[in-house]
Amino acid sequence: MFDNPSFRKGARDAVLILIAVGAFGLAYGVLAVDAGLSPGLTLFSSVIIVSGAAQFAMVGLLAAGPVPVLLAATGLGLRHLPMSARLADIIESQPLLTRLRLAFILVDETFGLTIRAFDAGVEDIVAYKTAADLMLYSGWIIGTAAGAWFGSSIDPEAAGIGVLFGLLFLGLAAPMVKIRRDWVVAGAAVVATLIATKTLPVAWQVSTAAVAASLVGMVIDE
Amino acid sequence: MNDLALVMGVAAITFASRVVFLLKPRSAPGGRVGRFLEVFPLALFIAIATSGLVAPWGSPELKANLAGAVGGVVGGVVFRRSLWGVLGVGAACFYLARAIIG
Repeated sequence: MFDNPSFRKGARDAVLILIAVGAFGLAYGVLAVDAGLSPGLTLFSSVIIVSGAAQFAMVGLLAAGPVPVLLAATGLGLRHLPMSARLADIIESQPLLTRLRLAFILVDETFGLTIRAFDAGVEDIVAYKTAADLMLYSGWIIGTAAGAWFGSSIDPEAAGIGVLFGLLFLGLAAPMVKIRRDWVVAGAAVVATLIATKTLPVAWQVSTAAVAASLVGMVIDE
Repeated sequence: MNDLALVMGVAAITFASRVVFLLKPRSAPGGRVGRFLEVFPLALFIAIATSGLVAPWGSPELKANLAGAVGGVVGGVVFRRSLWGVLGVGAACFYLARAIIG
């Protein structure tokens, strides 16, 4: 596998992802422990979930209870459906274990790299994605462990971690705003959240606002 | 539900959403359902960001938070929707506002 040119290219292309994801893993480790998860469970969550968005949402909503966390995970998981369908098209017939392995780390960053590599004619796309996934996974796990065990010296409030957390989600949303409909959905989400915080219990505020804004986006044609 | 069960639940949901079309290839949903699926992550991210940055009405740091939010939006526009642009400019505005306002 390591002699495969497609594998080596995948590893090279994902170096920046390893560094960036490592930094986010560090932030996740700090926030998760601050939210009440033990360092061991924080690391375990990164090992088995491998989704920055779902994990940050889980930590952010932890105080609101399990229902909003699971709703958010379901909602965030919805975006994997079209990615999963596209990847299935690309890899065509592969053994079940290979398909399960590729699905386990179906994340925005390496999916984007894989699509670009496929369009560029990379020969062995499975080896390419495997290498990119390994780089991302390594960064995420190492970053999480570092944040969970060595981040306790950071006072989240004094450091403004809560604001960075909000900005992180703003930053994750930014590349998704491409057409007029997306601006409308973003605006609707802001308004709905502000209304929800005044009228609903904490547990339902974010989920309700997100569903309301998505319904607005659903009825708007591009 | 304890924390371990919650983590396992999130892991199960996440993996299920990733594997569905790889277990048995089929077309992704289209039409209005497809559009709902497409915009939900954006709506959720913005709702979480708003909840953290703007919605804590009683927070003593609301003005600094707002400065960070505005900075994040400006950073996103200037740096062409880059995550790092949003984080960098937003954080700079937040820390600057906090230092000035106190």
